[in-house]
Amino acid sequence: MPDRETRGGAAPLSLMPAPHLGVGMSTVRMTWLVSLSLLPAAAWGVFLFGSPALIVLAFSIGAAAAAELAATLPFGRFTLRDGSAVLTGCIVGLLMPPGVPAWVPAAASAFGILVVKQTFGGLGRNWMNPAMGGVVFALLSWPGLLSQWIAPRGGAGEAAALPPLEVLRAALSSSGSTGGTPLAILARAGYPFSDLDAQVLGWINAHLPAPLGTALQPGTFDVLAGHVAGGIGTVSAPLLMLGAWFLLSRGIVRWHLPVLYVGTFGVLTAVFGGLGTGQGLLAGGPGFHLLSGSIVLGAFFAAPDPVTSPLTDRGRCIFGIGLGGLTFFLRFFGSLGDGVAASIVLGNCAAPLLDRWTSRRIIGDAHGRAV
Amino acid sequence: MKVPSPSAAAPDATLLPVLFLGLCPAIAVTARVVDAVWMSAGVILVLALSGLAMSLLSGQGDSGPTVRWLRALVITALLTASLEAALVAFAPVASAALGIYAPLIAVNCLVLGVVSPGSLPASPPRSLLAGLARGAQFAVALVFIALIREALGAGTITLFRIGAFTGTIVITGIIERPARALGAAGGGLLCLGYLAGAFRAVAPRAGVKSSSPEKAE
Repeated sequence: MPDRETRGGAAPLSLMPAPHLGVGMSTVRMTWLVSLSLLPAAAWGVFLFGSPALIVLAFSIGAAAAAELAATLPFGRFTLRDGSAVLTGCIVGLLMPPGVPAWVPAAASAFGILVVKQTFGGLGRNWMNPAMGGVVFALLSWPGLLSQWIAPRGGAGEAAALPPLEVLRAALSSSGSTGGTPLAILARAGYPFSDLDAQVLGWINAHLPAPLGTALQPGTFDVLAGHVAGGIGTVSAPLLMLGAWFLLSRGIVRWHLPVLYVGTFGVLTAVFGGLGTGQGLLAGGPGFHLLSGSIVLGAFFAAPDPVTSPLTDRGRCIFGIGLGGLTFFLRFFGSLGDGVAASIVLGNCAAPLLDRWTSRRIIGDAHGRAV
Repeated sequence: MKVPSPSAAAPDATLLPVLFLGLCPAIAVTARVVDAVWMSAGVILVLALSGLAMSLLSGQGDSGPTVRWLRALVITALLTASLEAALVAFAPVASAALGIYAPLIAVNCLVLGVVSPGSLPASPPRSLLAGLARGAQFAVALVFIALIREALGAGTITLFRIGAFTGTIVITGIIERPARALGAAGGGLLCLGYLAGAFRAVAPRAGVKSSSPEKAE
């Protein structure tokens, strides 16, 4: 309701405490925009995997919202409109395989909200990313159920119901399957890429100059376009990058952390990734690993969570490099999924330390005296 | 922050859930209810007997704090070693359940405070009762954590084999898909954290004296 001065036409006098300069971006707005930026990847996942993907997303988001209500309503608070619970449920659902029983994402979301977030006081007080905490809880509890994949629409039958990354790991674990790039190993293992992949690559190889004098390998289009089995929202790196570009352009996510995360992982994969495939140093094929798994979603949508990542730019840089290294080691030498969720959860533990180490020190007062 | 001395911690009625003492064996033996019960029984027994022994010996010779501490160490270690040997000889099931954590009963008893100089009750019956009571508190926390962990993390509750009863209660609906993360060590710490939170929320209302390590000096 306008006050007396405003009604009279005079400029209103606002008395309020600092800060007096705002960025025009509230936490609520930021949270909903992050959810919005995930919509293209989610829509692609639902299109690719059909109603099972929609059910998984509905259960993960619904459970997150229900858990938020259950944890806050008894204390007279209604925090659902801040969007953080929906975002948590959304990220959990997007990381799930489409064939997983619906109660698993629901349990993961509920764990993330009740244990990881609300136990510590709710939004802004949690020290671990709720979505990633929930996913790691599900990975540790029901690893078999989190391997129930579905073949994508237009895929080459049931044989295509395995993510390329899983097939690559299986091929590398069996002797005699090493040698060559990840896509070459997949082709040798008989991975059924789609007819569309063959047609597109055939046309490109026939009509366009081949990069570096070599033809594009089978599977390049499917992996790049996200036309393969995988997590509901993680298969399409380009659509995730579209959402990431939106976040970067609006200043919601600063570039330091995600770029260094992806960059460190890519460099380590390029340098050392080839050792496991018999290619040797500097022949890791980072492109395949960057496009497979959930590293794009983790790097741009989960790791930069302002609550659980460092506050300083230097801290974010160290955090991103550390996450890239952790993800590399967990993916190539670990067994906990593709290593992204576990890396972020482990990294969250170090974020307060990074804040302490990288925050600016007050070295003196206005009179030059040390404080 | 000063490190709390056992004598300062001893008068509190806050054992495992608040001071987080005896954490290592507690996490180790709470994966199954029966293991927690065996550990609880051992702690109660050693606490009661060591308290009694300390009380009986309190008037003998030098009663300075250093001597009392040494005496407490020797008595508790002696009782624990005797108990361990007795378990191996007469209760191999219990011995197997406790495993390498049986010697840690001595550590538990020492840090739980009953045998520390500051909490030495005056009379032998009071010492005995104090040991039993303190051991019972530890047992309640331990068995509670074990119940949660085993029920949700494995879908079973393992007790003692009696007659036709196999000793294992199967929880239908959970055993098919147990949340194995809760059965892991992290699950134990999680349960302990919630127990500590519940204790701190309830204790002031119930009038129970409680102090955090920061307050104990």
